[in-house]
Amino acid sequence: MKILMSVIFLGLAAAAAAQERAHLDVQTTAQKEELVVNDAGESETRLVPAEILVPGESVFYTITFTNVSDQPADNVVITNKIAENLMYVDGSAFGAGMDILFSVDGGVTFAAAGELTVTEDGEVRSAEAGDFTHVRWVMRNDLDAGARGIARFAAVLE
Amino acid sequence: MGTAVGTIIENTAVVSFDLAGTPLTLQSNTTTIAVAERIDVTVTLQSPQTLVAPNDTGRALLLTVTNTGNGTETFTLLMDSVIGGDNFDPTPAVPDIYFDTDASGDFSAGDQAYAPGVNDPNLNADESISVFIVNDIPGTVLNGQTGRSELTATSATGTGAPGTVYANQGDGGVNAVIGVTGGEAADTGEYLVSDVLVNVVKAQLVSDSFGGNEPVPGATLTYTITVDVASSGTAAASVVRDTIPALTTYVPNSITLNGAAISDLTDGDAGEFDTTGTPTVVVRLGDLTQADPVQTIVFQVLID
Repeated sequence: MKILMSVIFLGLAAAAAAQERAHLDVQTTAQKEELVVNDAGESETRLVPAEILVPGESVFYTITFTNVSDQPADNVVITNKIAENLMYVDGSAFGAGMDILFSVDGGVTFAAAGELTVTEDGEVRSAEAGDFTHVRWVMRNDLDAGARGIARFAAVLE
Repeated sequence: MGTAVGTIIENTAVVSFDLAGTPLTLQSNTTTIAVAERIDVTVTLQSPQTLVAPNDTGRALLLTVTNTGNGTETFTLLMDSVIGGDNFDPTPAVPDIYFDTDASGDFSAGDQAYAPGVNDPNLNADESISVFIVNDIPGTVLNGQTGRSELTATSATGTGAPGTVYANQGDGGVNAVIGVTGGEAADTGEYLVSDVLVNVVKAQLVSDSFGGNEPVPGATLTYTITVDVASSGTAAASVVRDTIPALTTYVPNSITLNGAAISDLTDGDAGEFDTTGTPTVVVRLGDLTQADPVQTIVFQVLID
């Protein structure tokens, strides 16, 4: 346990140092839907932190990035590997002012969802949500000093 | 089914950008999600509708119980033979549930009885177990009546609406969450009473061309087949098919049913001489019950 704590501490320290140098603050949160009954007796879903998940449930990842420097950042690209046991939810990736690309080859190449193909049993077919290994958001414009961007996607636990 | 309990799902985003012409890359924090136990179970009937007779004992129906959750789970089993949609209630045998211990698919002497709380099946994720539910058939049942019996498998951790959480009760102390099956499943099998007893008797008479009864070439064999129902119930759409013996030749237009001629052609009457395969005399008797008179079919062949 002591060793694990040290590793975590070192990891946090390294991340903090990197962000200080990088002048961009990047945070990821994982949430899931929870069904609640409101005061009017109606069922509604709300997002709560996803600490545990069971197969079939979806997780909603939100990546928030803020330019904490005093100059614009350009060529901002966010890449998120889709964890093993998770399957991308078709159409769920979103980011205002961003082009959304995917990879089906472990993050080597990226293209729009409709342009990707996979070869299965010697036959080429269009890629499906289950084939995606990475999601990528490419900002079309600069991220001004002090500005914030948000990228989202959802995946279902297999 | 699904990702194993305790699996850790981590997620980290990577951001690259240029700042004042300098390319930089950094990582976000890493989120961590633990996979909890999802409790799900299915019960699937394997036996077809099972034909039984009054007073039968130890009639078994085979079902499969499958742990469709993602962890290890214990299930309790319960048989119920007092359910709707049938004509009679089968009488539960004692004990009434057995495991297919010898994996034969048939209820047999080596199969171990289920004792609630003693040998409740403990199944890994995706593991199945074959179970027999066993009933006796009351003596009062009538032909054509059905009786149903149901097996229910219930998660020992608990049941409830999908999403119900049993805190810390999953494998290794993680939360257990009820899945779409509610942690409980059942399936129903059916017995059909069918003990129609039909008597079919075939007799032959030899007439040789010399006025005697010697089975010599050229002699005529006259076959008489009688059919009657000797029990309650209906022998539905009864058909008699009799192939012409080897080394004999059918005598054209010799078929009669209850004294009335039946043509050899397939022409809408009650029978024909069918030569599409092995030459066969075919006579359709329709639905027969005990109330019907004895049906008598006669036809002739010549010894070659």
